Amino acid sequence: MIGSRILKSAQEPLRAMIGDRLSLVGVVVLLSIICMALFAPFLSTHEPLAVNEREEGSLLARSVDGERPRWVQLPALGERTLNAADYRDGVGLAVGRDGATWRYRDGEWAELEAPLPTTLIDVAIAPGGAALAVGVGGNIALLDDAAAGSEWLPIEAPVSVALTGVTWLDDATALLVGVDETILRLDVASGEFEALESPLGRGMRLNSVALDADGSAWMVGERGLTLRLDPDDDSLSLERLPTNRDLNHIHLADSGHGLIVGERGTLLSRSAVGERWQSQDSPDSRAMRAGWVTDEGHAFAVGRSGIVFEREADEWQLVPSEEERHLRALMVTGEDYFALGSDRFVNRLAPPSGEHWFGTDHLGRDLYSQNVHGSRIALLVGFIGAALVVLIGANVGLIAGYFRGRTETVLMRTVDVMYGIPFEPFALILVLLFEPSLLIVILAVSLLTWRTVARLIRSQVLSLRERPFVKAARVAGASDLRIMYLHIFPNVMPLVFLELAIIVGVSIIAEATLSFLGLGPPQSISWGGILHNARLSGAWRDAWWWNLPPGLFIMITVLSVFFISRSLELVANPRLRARR
Amino acid sequence: MSTRRSYLIRRVLHGLMALFIIATMLFFLFRLGLPDPTAALITEGLSPEERERIRASFGLDRPIWEQYFIYLANILQGDFGYSFHYRAPVADIIWERLGNTMVLMLPAILLAYAVGVPLGAWLSWRRGSRTDTTGIFVGLMFRSAPMFWTGMIAILVFGIALGWLPTSGMRTLPYEATGFFDKIFTLDFLHHLILPALVVALYYLGSPLLIMRNTMLEVYGEDFIEMARAKGLPERRILYAHAARNALLPVVTQLAVTVGLAAGGQVVVEVVFSWPGLGREILNSVRTSDFPLAQASFLVMAAFVVTLNLLVDILYTMLDPRVSFK
Repeated sequence: MIGSRILKSAQEPLRAMIGDRLSLVGVVVLLSIICMALFAPFLSTHEPLAVNEREEGSLLARSVDGERPRWVQLPALGERTLNAADYRDGVGLAVGRDGATWRYRDGEWAELEAPLPTTLIDVAIAPGGAALAVGVGGNIALLDDAAAGSEWLPIEAPVSVALTGVTWLDDATALLVGVDETILRLDVASGEFEALESPLGRGMRLNSVALDADGSAWMVGERGLTLRLDPDDDSLSLERLPTNRDLNHIHLADSGHGLIVGERGTLLSRSAVGERWQSQDSPDSRAMRAGWVTDEGHAFAVGRSGIVFEREADEWQLVPSEEERHLRALMVTGEDYFALGSDRFVNRLAPPSGEHWFGTDHLGRDLYSQNVHGSRIALLVGFIGAALVVLIGANVGLIAGYFRGRTETVLMRTVDVMYGIPFEPFALILVLLFEPSLLIVILAVSLLTWRTVARLIRSQVLSLRERPFVKAARVAGASDLRIMYLHIFPNVMPLVFLELAIIVGVSIIAEATLSFLGLGPPQSISWGGILHNARLSGAWRDAWWWNLPPGLFIMITVLSVFFISRSLELVANPRLRARR
Repeated sequence: MSTRRSYLIRRVLHGLMALFIIATMLFFLFRLGLPDPTAALITEGLSPEERERIRASFGLDRPIWEQYFIYLANILQGDFGYSFHYRAPVADIIWERLGNTMVLMLPAILLAYAVGVPLGAWLSWRRGSRTDTTGIFVGLMFRSAPMFWTGMIAILVFGIALGWLPTSGMRTLPYEATGFFDKIFTLDFLHHLILPALVVALYYLGSPLLIMRNTMLEVYGEDFIEMARAKGLPERRILYAHAARNALLPVVTQLAVTVGLAAGGQVVVEVVFSWPGLGREILNSVRTSDFPLAQASFLVMAAFVVTLNLLVDILYTMLDPRVSFK
């Protein structure tokens, strides 16, 4: 009975909400935001609090700026790590994870068709122009013409272990090395392999191979293992080097200069064929992944966390580099010097992209998903807060206005006291005294907002209770409760609806404000909280994609609620209807 | 006249009563949340003499009722205690911060009303037109955008991207000022004031605008407007001389309430612009568990709000002869 009466009295406000154009827009927008909150897990593209990683084919170039050389970042080569690169006669090739292959020609990098779907570890270009790429699972691919060709030819290998290095002995023969001391000689024309026996035979891992100016081939690997293939008697011999650390890469120049790099900043150098390898002092003790030495003996080495070394007058220097990611390969073309690499890294402060629509924050978390999830707290606090406020306010107003006398005095004095309490400071104090939680936020919002509703409803009730229909009900013997809730309440319904709408807006802003000040519940995601993080991290001054969306969401939500409230205002106060 | 005077006296008494209740509430709220308020002090390593002095000044060794009366007596004497964080009397700190807040909030609010009121009157005149809708939309938009966000965007655009205006503090550091007014009457201060004041003003613009517009619409239905129209007065004259005058009352009320709440400062604006006002101070005092400062700041803000609300009622009796003094 009461329900149906109240429902009937709600009809007019509801009709007004969809009758007015602005208000209809508000209803539609608000409903979409409610849907967003309800279906947040399905709408978000990522876990909102999960750290996102990514990788890319980082590319650095050396630039000499005055006296000091610097390595500056160039646009990345795709989204896959690059493991190795080789350069000969104007053409460069770089290979990487999942078959990523890039060609460098005439100063331009272009992606090639992947020769194999598996990860490639090394690539080498023959003097005649053919190229070989090797990788995990013993996969090998041959490219006839490195400069122009695009058809890679897979070659069946006799082993299935990872091949880690390749070099050409001549235009028809290549030497391949891999884990388990695998050493293979490949005759490209016939496609036949010859397995060479390692003199050590302890199943160690070989990491790199290079051809020397005298025709011999050098191989380096785990724990300082170094092998040399003599071209004259075709014998493999164990070479003694002044280190026992893992060696990662060897590069030999035609002039006889040589460079071996390895773990913990290991650098070994020689300046002529047949000279002994000398250990050199390293300016950093991180793992070095690749080295390059020019014919003139100008040497470079790159390694973990983007470190780059250069040798000046037999002295290695740490060179400033813009890259923090791991570097894995070097490529020197004559005038240009490139470093390539990258591992998986935390994708922090990334601008909006296809992967992260609103970019990422300082911890690499997806901001679009955070914004979508943020709607939940905003609406939860908005609606629960408003419902509580209207429940308290309307009842206090109704009781005070209906009973008058002492009841009214006490209730309205309480409202006066409530009017003396400023909102933000009150919420701050509540947090100081209790722990921040969603409950405190809702409490702070609702404890201080019901005052307005109580005052408004009371003044309305004051005039209503003198109307004939109330007197008639009283004469007919209706109880106070019946008169209050059955006869008077439906008449203040438009006002209640109006206040409900306004207070939803006020609550959403209040929640955002508290969260922005860091007083929201920890570990929860809200629009204000996203802005709090942005401010706290200090990165908000550059990352506009971090600041903009949460504020826009708040604004749109609150604006839609205000639009709705305007149409309700016309119902509650018919005098506002525009007339001439 | 005598009914009016007794009404006023009653209102003042109500105000004082409200303040008394708030002070009491605050006292018990703090005792409930922080059984030993000096706990934060002791970890900060205050000297034993100072600690004794504070314990004595709060009478923490006495029964809670006695403590409560000491607390009330201290407040009546204007003694708000001793800040843990600043190691200085709370009253001195609060007055300075309150001044800082007021020089930001007052110009901002006045600007909002100076623009909002005429604009609202004008919109009501053009009611139903595209201008009206646009005006309402813009007013509501700024009212819907959280102030801290508008502030951050303003800093990004005018402070960082364009580099026109300073984005934090009241003065360029380091500066020397012998007194409060010495600090304020400088171009440097005005330069620092522009951005935060504009952000606050834009936020507050919506409420005088909409209130003025709506009250004007109500007034248009009154008989004396019909009368003026029947006399053949020009529309513009009716708008400003007859309607606007009578529609000002709710706006004035709103202005006083807003100013009252402004004493607490918009905490967020002061935080975003690093403005050393009372609002930011209360946030800091919460962070550093400086409870005498938090308590006193809150009380001062509450006093401001209560006083301004009182002023509203008094203004009402003077501006609107229809108000009855029951």
